[in-house]
Amino acid sequence: MNDNAFGSPARKRILSIIIIGFVALIVAQLFNMQIINSPTYAERSDDNSVKPIYQTAPRGILFDRNGEVLVGNKPSFTLRITPSDYKDSLSPYIENILGVDSGYVRRILKANENYSKYIPRRIAKDVSFNVMAWYEENASKLPGVDYVMETQRDYSFGVAGAHMFGYAREIPMSILQKRKDEYSLGDEIGLAGLEKTYEDILRGKKGIHYVLVDSRQKTIGKYKSGEEDFSAIKGYDLILTIDKAAQKAAEEAFKDRRGALVAIEPSTGEILAFISSPQYNLEDFSKVTTLANYNALRNNPDKPMLNRATMGYYSPGSTYKMITAIAALEEGIIDEETKIGCSGGFQFGDRFFKCLHVHGATDVGTSIEKSCNTFYYSLVNKLGLDRWSIYSKKFGFGKNSNVDLAEEKDGIVPSSEYYNKRYGKRGWTKGFVISLGIGQGELSVTPLQLAQYTALFANFGKSAKPHFLKSYSDSKTKVRTEVKPSYFDIGISRRSFEIVRHGMWRVVNGAGTAGNIRNPELDISGKTGTAQNPHGDNHAVFVGFAPYDNPKIAIAVIVENAGYGSASAAPIARDVIAAYMRKTIPNQQNNEVAQVH
Amino acid sequence: MKINYKLQDQFDLAVFIPVLLLIGFGLLAIYSSTLNLPNARADFYKQIVFAVISLVIFLVAYSLPHQTIKMTVIPVYGISLFFLLAVLAFGKTVYGAKSWLSIGGFGFQPSELAKLGTILMLAYWLTYKNRDINNLIDLTIALGIGFVPIFLIMLEPDMGTAIVFGLITLVMVFWSGLSLFGIFVVLSPLVVIFVSLFGTIALIIALLVIIAALLFFKRDLFNSVTVFVINLASGFFFDYIFRILKPHQQKRIESFLDPMADPLGAGYNAMQAKVAIGSGGMFGKGFLEGNQTQLRFIPKQWTDFIYSVIGEEFGFIGSVTVVILFTIIFIRMLNIASLAKDKFSALVVVGILTLLFSHFALNIGMDLGITPVIGLPLPFLSYGGSSLMINMLLVGLALNIYRNRKLHT
Repeated sequence: MNDNAFGSPARKRILSIIIIGFVALIVAQLFNMQIINSPTYAERSDDNSVKPIYQTAPRGILFDRNGEVLVGNKPSFTLRITPSDYKDSLSPYIENILGVDSGYVRRILKANENYSKYIPRRIAKDVSFNVMAWYEENASKLPGVDYVMETQRDYSFGVAGAHMFGYAREIPMSILQKRKDEYSLGDEIGLAGLEKTYEDILRGKKGIHYVLVDSRQKTIGKYKSGEEDFSAIKGYDLILTIDKAAQKAAEEAFKDRRGALVAIEPSTGEILAFISSPQYNLEDFSKVTTLANYNALRNNPDKPMLNRATMGYYSPGSTYKMITAIAALEEGIIDEETKIGCSGGFQFGDRFFKCLHVHGATDVGTSIEKSCNTFYYSLVNKLGLDRWSIYSKKFGFGKNSNVDLAEEKDGIVPSSEYYNKRYGKRGWTKGFVISLGIGQGELSVTPLQLAQYTALFANFGKSAKPHFLKSYSDSKTKVRTEVKPSYFDIGISRRSFEIVRHGMWRVVNGAGTAGNIRNPELDISGKTGTAQNPHGDNHAVFVGFAPYDNPKIAIAVIVENAGYGSASAAPIARDVIAAYMRKTIPNQQNNEVAQVH
Repeated sequence: MKINYKLQDQFDLAVFIPVLLLIGFGLLAIYSSTLNLPNARADFYKQIVFAVISLVIFLVAYSLPHQTIKMTVIPVYGISLFFLLAVLAFGKTVYGAKSWLSIGGFGFQPSELAKLGTILMLAYWLTYKNRDINNLIDLTIALGIGFVPIFLIMLEPDMGTAIVFGLITLVMVFWSGLSLFGIFVVLSPLVVIFVSLFGTIALIIALLVIIAALLFFKRDLFNSVTVFVINLASGFFFDYIFRILKPHQQKRIESFLDPMADPLGAGYNAMQAKVAIGSGGMFGKGFLEGNQTQLRFIPKQWTDFIYSVIGEEFGFIGSVTVVILFTIIFIRMLNIASLAKDKFSALVVVGILTLLFSHFALNIGMDLGITPVIGLPLPFLSYGGSSLMINMLLVGLALNIYRNRKLHT
């Protein structure tokens, strides 16, 4: 290196030697580590390993509007298998102690075999004490099998609410593939009802702590003295708008009936009670559900999985007459005094549309009180289809209410556009329209829409979007966030409402069709209906609100195949209203025979 | 389209193709080590974006007119120092070091930009007109150009990057023709510092060796005494530096000297990396099959310990392949330095080569237990946007210099 020239060949050679020399050193060390001493390292790699222990975060608790628990959490044991350490030959023993069919374990492992084999799979949730005792005794002979304490949904608080609460379950592969960044195998995810809608705030945050384990899976210490560990954070608690007492009353009433009930606080849109019957048992979904269980629910002819309250299509029957009345009043076709003669029906062209009675000269109030069909045939004929359709939509029909449950349908409100599309421009006649006036024909509504509609009568056209969530609170900081209702006003004159509301009051408190539920303390107003059912007996419908002067609750009840609305639907509405108002109904009134109309 | 058979003449595929392959290897390893880690999963996708952006940066650097490179020297160096100062004032602390600056939501490491700035500035200074590197003043200024960023980076503190800057300065000065005595003057304090780690007796022996060397060089008394005092001072100075180091860095230095002293502390990662690589064997455990990797033994493995993923999952074959790809790049760059049109260009390439090589040597050396555990990314493979973009910019500059080499007409 005597030549001190810039970039001389000698200097280049020295750099080359350093590079090649260091590379040679690296390759030699790689050879040493990966070829000569590989077995030693491999043994150490197998011997000690870090095991992440996941701590599932308890989901938030669901409370009712008064702070009573609706859905809670309880501790339970979950048996798991980690495929990397597990031997298939153990499956028969596990299947035997769990009392499941042979092949059960293999099916579960197969379902997610593409996933990292180092992640434990849940084999059974909420396992019994026997199983735990058996496991503890044989743990050393069961490599790859372990258990964790987890929390599980507790439904023992006296309400079922299957369709509203919904369920959370282990994340299915199809969803996991789409949401890999947020979830990992074995995580729970809300798949139906409020558990689904509010998944993001209910789920909390999983905790992890790492331990060092030796080749016998014995814990030998904390990994990195726990600096990477964090504890699970419970999800937010939800304070629902539901009133537990009203909900219980509704569930009690629907025990042996099919149908749906929705009750709303008119001024806020808060849902007070919500039921679709028959229900299914949420308990079944909080465990690792077997396919057989699920199929049984699926194939049940009573369709327990269907949320009738938001997805069921019903004909509203006479409960829909108020829309025709309001439309006619608003459009100036009638006023409070206008009388229309009822001679037992309405002649339209060569068709005769029947009324149940001969009501004689009838004004709008009486037409509601006595449920005169003729009056409404005549009104809807004068209104025409499209004007009627516009008012229907104002009251929220034909469009889902956008309630905070994912499962909701729009319903059907026909218009000339709809009929043109369906039957062709000349394929339908004006006669189609006549039955719509009394809520029959091609008109489909959901019970939730009916409840919202009733709330609008109760509160003179002002309400808020129906919703379940009143507020939620951070389980840690206890900071409570109120959910602001989305208020709206459908813009109909107070005078028209007053006329129709008074008719509804007379239905219960005058000589009307629901006199059987008259109760001065509750002061209910409402309207009965009978929904035509092409598949069997008619459905009973009742909509109502109470008290008349300052309504606190609006309610819609549909009882499938129960005939007239007054007979079965109205008493249920009364019982739920009474429960909500914390009033008791005298016994004899309860048993009073319904006045059949 | 006409095939350009002169492509190799314009564009050195022998550097570019290995770089692309290394980026590909890196993506595989990042994918594997972030698999099932929900919080880090996004890093894989981010790295793909970084790779695309860095290719654009590469092309821009490659196509710059050759003269413009020189024009950027002083501004880039100035901005680098400005950001290094800014990071000390407003930086974000990550893993115990204040090395991140956030601008408009994007975080970047000023020390990455400073690599470019320092290499350019040194090359510029060392080749300016009648520079004589063996003149003490010229040498001191050259060392000063390197030392300012080193000092600022040590304050963050980021030991690894400071060492890289030191090596860059050293090799560039060496390439400029520093005499043997000059090299001795520059290197001996570093040797003293290193030896002083092993205790007082080692330090005394080192100082005695220095005296012997000074006698061998037969310089005048003033020069010899000055060099000796510098050496003595650096021994004590290091003691001071050691004390200002963060505890986790002190531990790292200690654990390099005795990795078994603290198996669950700083030496732990290095040990687990060795276990991962060693257990890979000849052919590796297979992609996504490495249990050390998949069990997350090594925290943030996709950054500084990326090589252990390759070692475990692709074995000796994969590990050596990566080393060979790097070696091809280094040797090619060394040739480009000899081919360069002017001294400035040659020095820039030497600086780039040194930067890449020291990262390579210190990172892989750490994984294999032959160098201390210093947090440095492995170029082209480790996760990280700033590092990848700057490295690609530097490769772009090197190929730009190749395109404009003297033999090329």
